[in-house]
Amino acid sequence: MTMPHLVDDTAPAAVTLPKARAGNLWLVAPGVLWMTLFLVLPIAMMVYVSFWTQTTFKIEPTLTLQSWITFFSSDTYLGALWTTIRIWLIVLATTLLVGYPAALFVGLFVKNKTLQTVLLVLCVIPFWTSFLIRVLAWRPMLGKEGAINLILMKLGIVSQPIEVLLFSDLSVIIGMTQIYCVFMVGPIAFMLGRIDPSIIEAAQDLGAGFWRIFRTIILPLSMPGVVVGAIFVSVMVLGEFATSAALSGRKVNLLGNIIVTQVGSLKWAFAAVAGVVLTILMGAVVAVLLRVVDLRKEL
Amino acid sequence: MNANGIKLGLAFYTTLFLVFLYGPLVVLAILSFQTGPEGGPQFPIIEWSTYWYKHLFGLTPPSRIAPLPIEEGLVRSLVLAVMTMIVSTVLGVTSAQAFRTRFKGSGVVFYLIVLGMMVPGVLVGLGMALVANTLGIDRHWWGTTFVLHVVYTYPFAFLVMLAIFNRFDPSVEEAAWSLGVTPARTFRKITFPLIFPGVLSAMLFAFTLSYDEFSRTLFASGRDLTLPLAIYGTFSVEVHPNVFAFGVLTTLFSFALLGTYAVLMSLSVRRARRVLVQEDA
Repeated sequence: MTMPHLVDDTAPAAVTLPKARAGNLWLVAPGVLWMTLFLVLPIAMMVYVSFWTQTTFKIEPTLTLQSWITFFSSDTYLGALWTTIRIWLIVLATTLLVGYPAALFVGLFVKNKTLQTVLLVLCVIPFWTSFLIRVLAWRPMLGKEGAINLILMKLGIVSQPIEVLLFSDLSVIIGMTQIYCVFMVGPIAFMLGRIDPSIIEAAQDLGAGFWRIFRTIILPLSMPGVVVGAIFVSVMVLGEFATSAALSGRKVNLLGNIIVTQVGSLKWAFAAVAGVVLTILMGAVVAVLLRVVDLRKEL
Repeated sequence: MNANGIKLGLAFYTTLFLVFLYGPLVVLAILSFQTGPEGGPQFPIIEWSTYWYKHLFGLTPPSRIAPLPIEEGLVRSLVLAVMTMIVSTVLGVTSAQAFRTRFKGSGVVFYLIVLGMMVPGVLVGLGMALVANTLGIDRHWWGTTFVLHVVYTYPFAFLVMLAIFNRFDPSVEEAAWSLGVTPARTFRKITFPLIFPGVLSAMLFAFTLSYDEFSRTLFASGRDLTLPLAIYGTFSVEVHPNVFAFGVLTTLFSFALLGTYAVLMSLSVRRARRVLVQEDA
């Protein structure tokens, strides 16, 4: 995983001949133009359209706050906002809980570099299959006649198949945890791998137990990794709609799902409002996470 | 610390973690060999067969289950991925080349580029659809979708190339310049061979990210579906094992791609080493 800040601080250090410098502008201009036209302009358009007047079938560029008022006085929209925040917080916690011990093993306990690489590659390989197929793969796992119920019944742990496994909050959370936890494991393992072993040895020599070493050395030093992982997971989970559409049977409606349905029924202004709310939410989350740990200093 | 006990526990946990990562895919692969057309997407396997693989290619007698509409989608997705790969790699290499010298506003430009991979597909997709609507442009996979795919993959190419240029010794280029070689020729003869592994990685990133890209595509493409959109279409209806069979095939395709990349990479590393040996001799 490439850390943007890491690259930024060290990047343009090389000094080349002045002849090359004049060409700089021409080299970077196409990229800047592309991003301005196809990234900044669409986002600005979304903000602008959220203030347009929505009639039944079309939108008119007459500025109004009506769509915003509708959004914040509708139970459906506010419910979706609340669901988005709830699912995001839960998935953030589960990816951290599920991912941290694995990262701890790979980053700190595996001393053999080859084995370390093999384990990290094993974590990344599922990303080479289609995202949608990975989501869909949970259906035969979690369904009423799915693999998990089958195993639990064979083992005699349950007598009736558990029905809440699929098409519920739980299935969305399980699916998202599996898909996104690798983004936690990577950055945390990276930070843990940089801990100087002599620090831990010194603590051991002074008689500290594992928990004390974990609390006072390992956990604080891994925090930048946790924050980077949390940023990745947050941005992706907040922008989700496919997993909830496929695994919740339309019971879990995130802001992303609202946007998809509103666009489907040509309610562009409402979709734009939901989009702007999502953007603000995401910006706030990333800003808070960056406050927790000063990445520039830590990396 | 009682390191051995904890290490053993964590090793066991990591094994479970890998089972969690791979379990669903393994189950999906097993179920793709369910008998058809009466076998459903669940256990038990009534009889092992390759029916659903044949079904994908239209080799089975017609049944009530319609074949997946993947043929045209596959072609579109491949063409789109190649277009995206070429443009984003070129943009990535040129911008990273510009970043080798500090210029005014380089910080802003850096964040502008990286923003492309951070902003969720729903938001850019929606924004692009709104822009196209307002300007009266038709949405197509080769137009609006294509530019968004580049917005997404170009930052990856850029970061990969930035990392490559960071470890790059500028003195070899300076030597060429001082000998009077033109910058264009220097780039072709000196710089490009040295950064080739990075270019290869950037291309791999761009191709696979675009080939699998879904949320941007959903909003920005018109009536013609790409492969991920065709798969998404099956979500709302009853799922049959033919989707699973398709999943297995597309996974194998990705691995083939990864294998090609590994071979090309090791070849270029070996060539570089041979050149080095010749110089030493």
